[in-house]
Amino acid sequence: MGDVHEVPRKRIATGHLAQCIGQPVCFVGRVEKIHPTGKLFVLSDGEGKHATVELSEPLDEEISGVLEVVGRVTNQATIMCMSYVQFREDRSPFDLELYNEALKIIHEFPDYFPFG
Amino acid sequence: GGYTQSPGGFGSPAGTQAEKKQRVRSQNIVPCTVSQLQAAEQVDETFRIRGVEISQVTVMGIIRHAEKAPTNILYKVDDMTAAPMDVRQWVDTDEAGGENVVVPPGTYVKVAGHLRSFQNKKSLVAFKIMPLENMNEFTTHILEIVNAHMMLRKNLMSASRVPQSFSSAGLSDMGGYGGGGSLSVNGLTAHQSQVLNLIKNCPVPEGMSLQELKLQLQNMSMSAIKQAVEFLSSEGHIYSTVDDDHYKSTDAE
Repeated sequence: MGDVHEVPRKRIATGHLAQCIGQPVCFVGRVEKIHPTGKLFVLSDGEGKHATVELSEPLDEEISGVLEVVGRVTNQATIMCMSYVQFREDRSPFDLELYNEALKIIHEFPDYFPFG
Repeated sequence: GGYTQSPGGFGSPAGTQAEKKQRVRSQNIVPCTVSQLQAAEQVDETFRIRGVEISQVTVMGIIRHAEKAPTNILYKVDDMTAAPMDVRQWVDTDEAGGENVVVPPGTYVKVAGHLRSFQNKKSLVAFKIMPLENMNEFTTHILEIVNAHMMLRKNLMSASRVPQSFSSAGLSDMGGYGGGGSLSVNGLTAHQSQVLNLIKNCPVPEGMSLQELKLQLQNMSMSAIKQAVEFLSSEGHIYSTVDDDHYKSTDAE
């Protein structure tokens, strides 16, 4: 299995998951809930829609706030997470709604923001 | 002419009137994605992304790898649009450790630097690497990339092919960006400018035909095109060549 970090990963919101089955993606969302097993958590995107993120190994730390997840979309339209990063919000809160608007722009103008 | 400075952070700081040409010069610092940099074509010393010349660029991404050598730090910066890009920052060997602290992997940074290519591999030589303190800057950077490349391409195409969706996206409403059609600097109307620019940029020896102009200018009727051609011809901007249907520009380009 190729390293998903060496290929383009399209930035998407929950609404795009169904069209991206099997593809490497980058998803930014706010942590809503974490499954007790630590192998699954739910993020909400800038429109408040939920996406499920699965891990091959349970979380080994607390996660909260805004996460940027890199992974592949499964057949069930969940994201199989390969890595994640927490967005720092110590100075200012992250405007997820604005990020969602930016996603709409880059999806509308792929010529000016190409993935790959 | 017609390229205006934007408040968005790119534009020639020296910006003399004499240097303003239709072709965008590489004094600008252009926000880019890694994928755009990878796709940039090199001719001699110049890089172009879809025809637009670039040299100094900014990218924003996450540090995936950092390697310190005696004279430089090599980072791999990832913005998700392609594989991580090599970014080299030269270390000032005179300074006793002060300036160049290695930014740890997992940090989101803004990189300003020059695009380089060596043995067909692209990289950046950074003159500034700054950790992002506010991740909303990242969102802004995304929007600035789309805006910058769209505006630069529009200037390159000289307003002759602004697609309908451009103005409906609301981007042309932004103040200070020299919105489409405001090319009245040389005393010509928007239509006349569009026709003149197409004729100027036509490389064919016998010039541009009226039929070609009609094909390129979907928004103008043939009579409007003919009117513009008549005006430009009487003003001395263009002249007819093989027949009254073919025109060349009097400006040596």
